[in-house]
Amino acid sequence: MSQPIIEVRNLSHVYMQNTPLEHRALTDVTMQVAAGECIAIIGHTGSGKSTLIQHLNGLIRPQSGTVIVNGLDVSHPKLDVKALRRQVGLVFQNPEDQIFEKLVGDDVAYGPFKMGLPLEEVRRRVQWAMELVGLSFQEMKDRPTFALSGGQKRKVALAGVLALAPKVLVLDEPTAGLDPRSRSELLERIRRLNREEGLTVIFVSHNMEEVARLADRVYVMADGRAVCEGTPRDIFGSQEILRAHRIGTPESVDILYRLRDQGYPVDVGAYRVEEAADQIVTLIRQ
Amino acid sequence: MSAEFELTRNITIGQYLPTGSIVHRLDPRFKLAAFVILILAIAICGTYVGNLFALLVCLWLFHLARIPLRYGLSGVKPAVPFILILAVLQLLFYGEIAQGGTIYLQYGVVTISSESVRLVIVSAMRFVEVIFLSSVLTLSTSTTELTHGMERLLRPLETIRFPVHAFALIITIAIRFVPTFAMEMEKMMKAQASRGADFGTGEWWRIVKRTKDMFPILIPLFNVALSRAEDLILAMEARCYTPGAARTRYAHYTAHGRDYAAVAVSVVMSAVMVGIPW
Repeated sequence: MSQPIIEVRNLSHVYMQNTPLEHRALTDVTMQVAAGECIAIIGHTGSGKSTLIQHLNGLIRPQSGTVIVNGLDVSHPKLDVKALRRQVGLVFQNPEDQIFEKLVGDDVAYGPFKMGLPLEEVRRRVQWAMELVGLSFQEMKDRPTFALSGGQKRKVALAGVLALAPKVLVLDEPTAGLDPRSRSELLERIRRLNREEGLTVIFVSHNMEEVARLADRVYVMADGRAVCEGTPRDIFGSQEILRAHRIGTPESVDILYRLRDQGYPVDVGAYRVEEAADQIVTLIRQ
Repeated sequence: MSAEFELTRNITIGQYLPTGSIVHRLDPRFKLAAFVILILAIAICGTYVGNLFALLVCLWLFHLARIPLRYGLSGVKPAVPFILILAVLQLLFYGEIAQGGTIYLQYGVVTISSESVRLVIVSAMRFVEVIFLSSVLTLSTSTTELTHGMERLLRPLETIRFPVHAFALIITIAIRFVPTFAMEMEKMMKAQASRGADFGTGEWWRIVKRTKDMFPILIPLFNVALSRAEDLILAMEARCYTPGAARTRYAHYTAHGRDYAAVAVSVVMSAVMVGIPW
């Protein structure tokens, strides 16, 4: 494993501290992410996923424990928060809600302008970010934002974060609420950002197909703790882990488990759709 | 610092503290009436002893409702600057009007007499008492109960064609959405901060810049509010809501002896506050 770009150690967080509505969101979470990895964080609603990722760009400061991002200590009181946020781009759930400019290009340019970059550089960044998410700069930059489809709006929002040129991209349920085609396209864009542009990607998801398709490693959260960590093969290949943490499985894994229960010799760890299909084809041929 | 974006923490409107005390269990119509009577009495009462008594009544209500006093105090805290400014202004410029008593100091337009001192102290006390009372009321009554009570108390206005039901509905919806929009706003602030926005860091005299800084939050917030309003209309119409139609309601209140007793007690206490001559 190469040098970790993100190191979270014994992180705990309590919301509304010292009020009767006090609520413990994170307990003693430890995680490490190497540069260039693609990490999925899964867990049920209220397991602390969103709280955890908001620590990564300093929206929430650690109450106890440490978070170190590319050498920057997030708990340090004199931390340059803006510098941190340029390194870690955070895309919230339903990010299209945050679009506020009239034209697509202007909205994407908001971040770079706030960084104080010269106009030429801003323009270059906007073009780069828009092309990365699959929006043609020439065609789309002067489109009004309100006339876009849901999938396009989400891409604009994603481009708005990418225009900061972050090293780490953190996404909270990036495909929630999209139609299947936009979903699949967006996933492909994220995969390429990770593989081709070398961005470290951390994403929260409820969709196990996505996790199986994208993630190098998976963290499972439950009740504010990181209860389990491993490759998708480790996680989906172990019925004990799946049962213990009530993790849903991708359909391909489901089928493999059912085949195995019927007595067929299948490898449940080979869960990718293509691998599973290959195994089934082999079975049929036998 | 870590509470930088915790907006929901500061919102006490609609906060309900279910302790199940007798104050909580009162019929909201009678409870509201009793509190209105007390607040009116406080507004009229202008004596030291009367206000001390009112303060005691407030403390007793906190005790009776089993609500920790610090809730009342946290409501007073943000009002302290106003109370102080008001007190200073009254002390300096009210001597002319509040004549009588011994005059302590007279300098130009500034007259400080025992009467104006009394006025200053009494109005500060009134402020605190009213905040205490409304804290007890809102902390012990859910917003639905509160609006039901209000609707009933306002019903006489229907004779002059005042749309009481619609008014109560508006209030309910408004209160219902305060925490929702606080959460939306929190999310929006975080999202824009992630893109490099900063709020309220510019120098205070650069009003235009500081206002412009708020656009990235306000515009999306308006968008969200409008689309939520549309959803709400659809949801209500889908469930056959018709404006102005005669409606029955789910919650029926029956008055018990304790409800009449509550109003009676508040009348007696109010009479004491107003009646005390010192």
